[in-house]
Amino acid sequence: MNIILQQVSIADSNSPYNGNKKDILITDGIITKIDDAITDESAQVFTSGNTFASPGWIDIFSHACDPGYEYRETIDSLAIAAAAGGFTQVFTLPDTSPVVDNKAQVEYVKQKSANTKINVHPLGAVSKKREGAALAEMYDMKQSGAVAFTDGLYPVQNAGLFLKALQYVKTFDGVIIQLPQDKSINASGLMNEGIVSTRMGLQGIPAIAEELLIARDIELLRYTQSTLHITGITTKKSVELIKAAKAEGLNISCSVTPYHLFFCDEDLKNYDTNLKVNPPLRSKGDMIALREAVLNGDIDCIASHHLPQDWDNKACEFEYAKPGMIGLQTAYSVVQTALPELSAEKIAALFSANAGKIFQLPAIIKEGEKASLTLFNRNEFVFTKEKNKSKSFNSPFFNVALKGTVVGVVSKGILTLNN
Amino acid sequence: MKLSSKNLLGIKDLSREDIQLILSTASQFKEVLQRPVKKVPSLRDVTIVNLFYENSTRTRFSFELAERRLSADVLNFAAGTSSAAKGETLLDTVNNILSMKVDMVVMRHSATGAPHFLAQHIPAAIVNAGDGINEHPTQALLDAYSMQEKTGRLEGLKVAIIGDIMHSRVALSNIYLLTKMGAEITIAGPPTLIPKYLQEAFNVNVTYNVKEALQWCDVANVLRIQLERQNQPLFSSLREYNLAYGIKRSLLDSIDKDIVIMHPGPINRGVELDSDVADGPYSIILNQVENGVAVRMAVLYLLSPQSANS
Repeated sequence: MNIILQQVSIADSNSPYNGNKKDILITDGIITKIDDAITDESAQVFTSGNTFASPGWIDIFSHACDPGYEYRETIDSLAIAAAAGGFTQVFTLPDTSPVVDNKAQVEYVKQKSANTKINVHPLGAVSKKREGAALAEMYDMKQSGAVAFTDGLYPVQNAGLFLKALQYVKTFDGVIIQLPQDKSINASGLMNEGIVSTRMGLQGIPAIAEELLIARDIELLRYTQSTLHITGITTKKSVELIKAAKAEGLNISCSVTPYHLFFCDEDLKNYDTNLKVNPPLRSKGDMIALREAVLNGDIDCIASHHLPQDWDNKACEFEYAKPGMIGLQTAYSVVQTALPELSAEKIAALFSANAGKIFQLPAIIKEGEKASLTLFNRNEFVFTKEKNKSKSFNSPFFNVALKGTVVGVVSKGILTLNN
Repeated sequence: MKLSSKNLLGIKDLSREDIQLILSTASQFKEVLQRPVKKVPSLRDVTIVNLFYENSTRTRFSFELAERRLSADVLNFAAGTSSAAKGETLLDTVNNILSMKVDMVVMRHSATGAPHFLAQHIPAAIVNAGDGINEHPTQALLDAYSMQEKTGRLEGLKVAIIGDIMHSRVALSNIYLLTKMGAEITIAGPPTLIPKYLQEAFNVNVTYNVKEALQWCDVANVLRIQLERQNQPLFSSLREYNLAYGIKRSLLDSIDKDIVIMHPGPINRGVELDSDVADGPYSIILNQVENGVAVRMAVLYLLSPQSANS
């Protein structure tokens, strides 16, 4: 089956066609021709005046909940939501039940996702059962298809173990993803510690809990000369620490969630449980610093931190509510709304190229390459419960007018359009 | 007369006029409580449920007494002996109770924001009887009433709030109320029990020296050490707490003025407050309890459908 994408603006700084409006011909999942005008009577044709084509977007931090919590999400529903959000590749967290800490669990995810429209890549756990006590079989998991390693929302606390983990993955050029949080500093906190938490009577999680772990991990990285990605950074200081480590030549990169660019702790004043997230929403100053860091390239990627929760765990007391929000379908629109000045080329870098480079999943819009493409425009997007493809509904973005729409994706040789 | 808010979730949401209205209404009810027949028909046909998800003696009795003095129909719910112990959610419990046509809910809960959550889901008027470490608005109102009764003013009054500020909903409600009414506040206690951003959040004075706070103030509101809320070590021992921060007769004797001593109860005797101070001549702790009933009558009356119709 041939597909022609007519007159799409190519947003890919690695492509010789970057910035040009072209027709793209796709044959059996391969880009076979890029030209000013391509005709093929038998082809499926997509045509639009104002659509950008980016290399397929990659989300590096999504909770699939499958196996173990299928009432919140399954690999199938996750893949459909991801495709609707423009993602052709999604990394799933190992915090399932059982935990993805061995080959069998990696293979489960690979097999379950074999027939989905997009590519699902399991992240393996760094430590057995994510307990932070002993290393998991990362070598074996890597051979079976684990894309990288993380203990997710329970980052490795023990410095000695984390040092060994960073050393261990060097054998197979592995990457470790750390969500920075020192759990010994007020782990019972419910939101950012600051003026707002004090006025709201909620225990705070100090910014230093994050910054301390980043500082520690940078020291361990310098010692081991390994590869580390920090995801979900939330403070100005975190950006500065990572920027300095990069300048020094360490192999470190970082990502931010769309919602930390959109909300700050002041938005919590009505105890909205959909805004209870981990890491927490920080101060307005931090939010602005994160936006600047995205614009000037200090932050490498956007990570959705898609975390489905069932209704009962959100329709309750703020303190008892589980953290997180779904985010695959709104990731792009939220980022484009928070930062309207982001160019299509910059969007492509944040959502695809940079993650592709860090995690060795390169994608480029060029003849002869695999067709993994995301189509998007700057039109208004309103996310509704009817449009939601996730099994869960914990989103603060329902019925909010956002700027930027995902039109569809080309993945595995198939064009999937929203609506 | 009516409050600007449908619920009493916190002092944070009240205006200065609301507070004045509650305090003046409380004066009228206090007069009622001195009569031989202490019951008035104000809330006849109003059904109130007292939802206590956390233990309480003083506050629950005080609310119940206030409700009965107003002739309301009263339902009592204690989480330990109800379906909540079987895992029923807060929303389910309340919807069930509301199906029984309840007009008002008085709720105490260990989680901050629980009454705010309820207010978004049910039509009944809600009175917060303490939520987590957030607010305990009726306690702050009765504290203010008692301060005003004893000293004749709130404007310009110097109030020291001493002890475990971090885990105290009484502290936060007092800070909101006293700030709105023009009193001056100094917070005193160990640094580990005072939120880091308190000074910036409320523009209050903070000191770690209790004697300095006592020397400065007209009224000392001494708070309870909330051991049950501390999930990490915040001071070394109760003995040491008493040595450094306990209010003792000798300490009061060492300052050159008389100050009013208050405590929201229950007292940890010999920890934050020694018995000879708690039971001493400057203590108004039992007046606070007495005023609590009048203040709660005022709040319930002002939030009731009856008041809206009058």
